[in-house]
Amino acid sequence: MSEAAFDDSEINQEDDSQEDVMTPAELIAKLEEAWLNEKFSPELQENKSEVVECVMEQLTHMESNLQRVKKGDTKASIHRMEVDRIRFVLTSYLRSRLQKIEKFFPHVLEREKSRADGEPSLLSPEEFAFAKEYYDNTEAYLKAVALKRMPPNLQSIDMLKAVPEPCLDSFVFLRVKEKQENILIEPETDDQREYVVDLEEGSQHLMRYRTIAPLISNGAVKLI
Amino acid sequence: MDPSEVEFLAEKELVKIVPNFSLDKIYLIGGDLGPFNPGLPVDVPLWLALNFKQRQKCRIIPPDWMDVEKLEEIRELEKREEAFTPVPSPYYMELTKLLLNHASDNIPKADEIRTLVKDIWDTRIAKLRLSADSFISQQEAHAKLDNLTLLEINTIREFLLNSLNCMFKLRSNLQAGSSGRTFTDY
Amino acid sequence: MMFCEKAVELVRELQRLSDGQLPAFNEDGLRQVLQEMESLYDQNQADVNEAKAGRSDFIPSIKLRHSCLLRNQRCVTAYLYDRLLRIRALRWEYGSVLPANVRFHMCAEEVEWFSQYKKSLASFMRSIGGGEGLDITQDMKPPKSLYIQVRCIKDHGEFEIDDGTIILLKKNSQHFLPRWKCEHLIRQGVLEHVLS
Repeated sequence: MSEAAFDDSEINQEDDSQEDVMTPAELIAKLEEAWLNEKFSPELQENKSEVVECVMEQLTHMESNLQRVKKGDTKASIHRMEVDRIRFVLTSYLRSRLQKIEKFFPHVLEREKSRADGEPSLLSPEEFAFAKEYYDNTEAYLKAVALKRMPPNLQSIDMLKAVPEPCLDSFVFLRVKEKQENILIEPETDDQREYVVDLEEGSQHLMRYRTIAPLISNGAVKLI
Repeated sequence: MDPSEVEFLAEKELVKIVPNFSLDKIYLIGGDLGPFNPGLPVDVPLWLALNFKQRQKCRIIPPDWMDVEKLEEIRELEKREEAFTPVPSPYYMELTKLLLNHASDNIPKADEIRTLVKDIWDTRIAKLRLSADSFISQQEAHAKLDNLTLLEINTIREFLLNSLNCMFKLRSNLQAGSSGRTFTDY
Repeated sequence: MMFCEKAVELVRELQRLSDGQLPAFNEDGLRQVLQEMESLYDQNQADVNEAKAGRSDFIPSIKLRHSCLLRNQRCVTAYLYDRLLRIRALRWEYGSVLPANVRFHMCAEEVEWFSQYKKSLASFMRSIGGGEGLDITQDMKPPKSLYIQVRCIKDHGEFEIDDGTIILLKKNSQHFLPRWKCEHLIRQGVLEHVLS
């Protein structure tokens, strides 16, 4: 066990010439945060294509190194376990996004359409392609099997109305990463009053998604 | 969230092991580990510690707090205080479970520890149920939940969030009442 | 019979079953709803002409029929859409080839929708990570680095475990294997978990 055939000492030390580059560990932390945010939020979050691509690169690089290692090497088996763990987070992240895209496809596409120039895109290019195909496929199906056999004024449906929207009034659990002051809490009932709270760094809260949605995309809070 | 996913996150926590083998530093994507030398304690993530342990390649040193005296203090404090007291680890329950299931021979007084942690957990979950109950009955819009762990939140997540959503829908139906459609194209 | 009853029955038919089940496509039920819609529409066409000619007392019944038409349309699309969601879920459960009893319950258009869905999903997965490709239908559960004791129930031949070691899975032999590696063999009945 003492002599490891697998020399991994170079793998993660390639780009330290550039400053400001995320370390692989920071990259993985980013992916995990995006994963949990996506899992716990009622609506689709901004896409993190760069993170996905960088993680994929890391995994591919590591896997190709592992190909060259002789069987039964201890270091290699540890690397394999880590690769499996990261691949799980990555696929689970992409799955929860895809699930929301399928669940809310007309709304997701509508938001993408009405997005202002410069505003970050909700969908990655491949997710956008998928969402459009899903829309067309589903619409074509409904037409073929039923709508075209209905009276002339009922042969189409408004997908935006037919498919439920994400409920932004859902409650979420969150942890604060950067202190936020004066967050307005709207009343639940007519006899309550609105009030403001400060979100201290490190504190945890239960509140409506709508209230803190922008704080997720700028990284000030994370969902738990 | 599936409990197996909470456990997955807990497995990232570092624990100290005493290896019985030598191995150079490992450059994992998530950070460096080692070097490993026989008899010299070293920090590794729990997933790796458990793997080594099962293959009899190490002894696990239990975390400082996994100690009867310390846990007794925590238990008393948890019972005394109305609020949630700080826990020794954000994954105290999962760590206890995993270490006691797979490395109990490395943990002195394992049975007592299991009971103490279970007591602490039960006290906290009872508090959590009470607060969830009052959150709903008071129709609160915001609650501070410091010191709650992910696993604890997970035990009430679905039930609480579904109830709140359901109540919200009932209330907004009561208030709106005017979502009448207009039929224009007969 | 009351209007829309058939359409509501379609919806109920799915509601009665748990999420994972796909009953046979109810072509007959669908046809009956469409027939009802046709006759409602024809009656309305006739009455609308009368109403235009001054018979304003026809308007309430026109409105009623139109509401029924919309409700029928809504129930039918809900029925069809819910079936798609079930078929989609089965894709994630069984992989790209659905079991025969499921396929048997699908109508031709559903088969078409499903094959298009598979295509979209495959091209999505191929393009992940700037064209690198990643099968996201794998790794559904968190990996476990733990090992378990297993017994071989039938001969299976050679089997490569994660660190590259090759072992022979012979009937009645016992092995200490990574759990995540043998879970599918346990499900297939090749191995059984030996509880100590």
